[in-house]
Amino acid sequence: MRRLAWRAFVYAAALGLAAQAVVPLLWMLSTSLKPPREVFATPPTFVPAAPTLENFVRLVTDTAFLTYFRNSVVVAGLTVVLTMAVGALGAYSLTRFAFPGREAVARLVLCTYMFAPIMIVIPIYILARRMSLVNTHTALVLAYSSFCLPFALWLLRAFFRSIPVELEEAAHVDGAGRGRAVIYIVLPLALPGLIATSIFTFTLAWNDYIFTRILIASDELKTLPVGVQDLFAAAVVDWGLVMAAGMLITIPALAFFMAVQRHLVAGWGTGGLKG
Amino acid sequence: MRRRLPGAVLGVLWILPALVLITSLILYPVAYAIWLSFFDKHSFFPAERWVGLGNYARIAGDAEFWDSLWKGVVYAGASTGLQLVLGLAAALVLHQAFRGRTAIRALVLFPYMIPTIVAVIVWRWLLNETYGVVDDVLLRLRLVREPVVWLGVDHMMASLIAVSVWQFTPFVVVSLLARLQTIPLELGEAARVDGASAWARFRHVTLPQLRAVLFVVVLLRSIWMFTKFDTVWLWGEGAGAGREIRTLPIYAYMRTFTYYQAGFGAALAVIMFLMLMAATLVYFRLFWGEEDAA
Repeated sequence: MRRLAWRAFVYAAALGLAAQAVVPLLWMLSTSLKPPREVFATPPTFVPAAPTLENFVRLVTDTAFLTYFRNSVVVAGLTVVLTMAVGALGAYSLTRFAFPGREAVARLVLCTYMFAPIMIVIPIYILARRMSLVNTHTALVLAYSSFCLPFALWLLRAFFRSIPVELEEAAHVDGAGRGRAVIYIVLPLALPGLIATSIFTFTLAWNDYIFTRILIASDELKTLPVGVQDLFAAAVVDWGLVMAAGMLITIPALAFFMAVQRHLVAGWGTGGLKG
Repeated sequence: MRRRLPGAVLGVLWILPALVLITSLILYPVAYAIWLSFFDKHSFFPAERWVGLGNYARIAGDAEFWDSLWKGVVYAGASTGLQLVLGLAAALVLHQAFRGRTAIRALVLFPYMIPTIVAVIVWRWLLNETYGVVDDVLLRLRLVREPVVWLGVDHMMASLIAVSVWQFTPFVVVSLLARLQTIPLELGEAARVDGASAWARFRHVTLPQLRAVLFVVVLLRSIWMFTKFDTVWLWGEGAGAGREIRTLPIYAYMRTFTYYQAGFGAALAVIMFLMLMAATLVYFRLFWGEEDAA
């Protein structure tokens, strides 16, 4: 009897946990599908009485949403490419080559975790202004990449470490150069780590607010979080529209997440973290 | 025959791009922020004037600084504490065997994976005092007599803490779950055979095993909550009202980008960093044990 009560409690608690995470997002979906009149109905309805895609159509046609979306894709994509290329090279070096100061470099990387974004954002803004990089996607990609690099290095280092050096040595014996050994042996084996790292990098760039807010001034260069906040800052908030925008920003982030979910937890313990 | 570069040279060459990026875009800016904090400098115009420790002296006598420091401590303390307690409870539940466990574990991570702007707009809508569903439910259950103005001055800090806990607790859950899965089952079984109660097993078997990961999680979460910018900013200031939740990062941002006092803003950021360093050192002194080294 006590066992049964315990099982019932576990199921109820698990359902409760799932509900608190998902219901707010379902509410966003529900609101985004409501016509304006129903959005402001009291009492609120959970299932839209007359579901419509009107909010999404208005979002795409009446606002610069698609421009923001494209900017976000470009910036997050380039950030992943740059971070992964530089990070994989660096992490490989940290695990496979012996050189003076190697451990110091690894520790230095860890120290950069300590710096708050605001401490970096203020000087970066002034420096970017001085170099006329303000209001360019280049500035954003560079800022995100360097912000992601410390954890990318740390995470990839852990994955590269777990690959036996003997495999590479065997390739050398067979006459393959270091480059070929890395491309055909190390990278495929480290794939889960590469994927997990890309996801962390992508989500950070996709979700970030503060760098775009500070470095980007013109509307046509803004990324999604800042663009949507501006929609939201209007005098009378058009909630249906805002919720539709919320849905469209969330879907890529969650789709990415679901696709690699099992790699993600693997990376968790090794230091792949964000704020 | 092609000459091979020695390993050490190759190693340095391969790490070089990463070092250049980190140095020029993290270390140099941080150093520049420290340098900047000794100047009176406008955020836009190039003119700058050396003031030595002038900015720091001004901060010491600045009531707004002390106020934002206090608000930051309240926010970081309350939200980290709640994340820890709720995260531990949730992790223990999700560690049990039940059908659909994998799916629920993934769902529970959602709030942590969505962009902050989405978490903020969703909760501003749920907590809306006129059309929000939270007040509607509270009224219908007769828990309150009139709608609670969650985003009003009286409840702004509380609602901000609640939203932050919702958003960031999954981090604690996953970190603890990862560790729980590696605890040998025999430990719990042995205690059970010896007749230990569920509470005693948790207290004397599970909790000691979680010590090291809790140490790290508390450290990271409190640093990140103390320096949190976007959630706090978007919850209040970014939407036009936020004095009640003006924490230290927000205050530094406002000095720099609203009042254009880049030197003063940089000094605030530096002070925040020094306080974090000091707190981290004390934390290590107090709680770091030999067994944490693993």
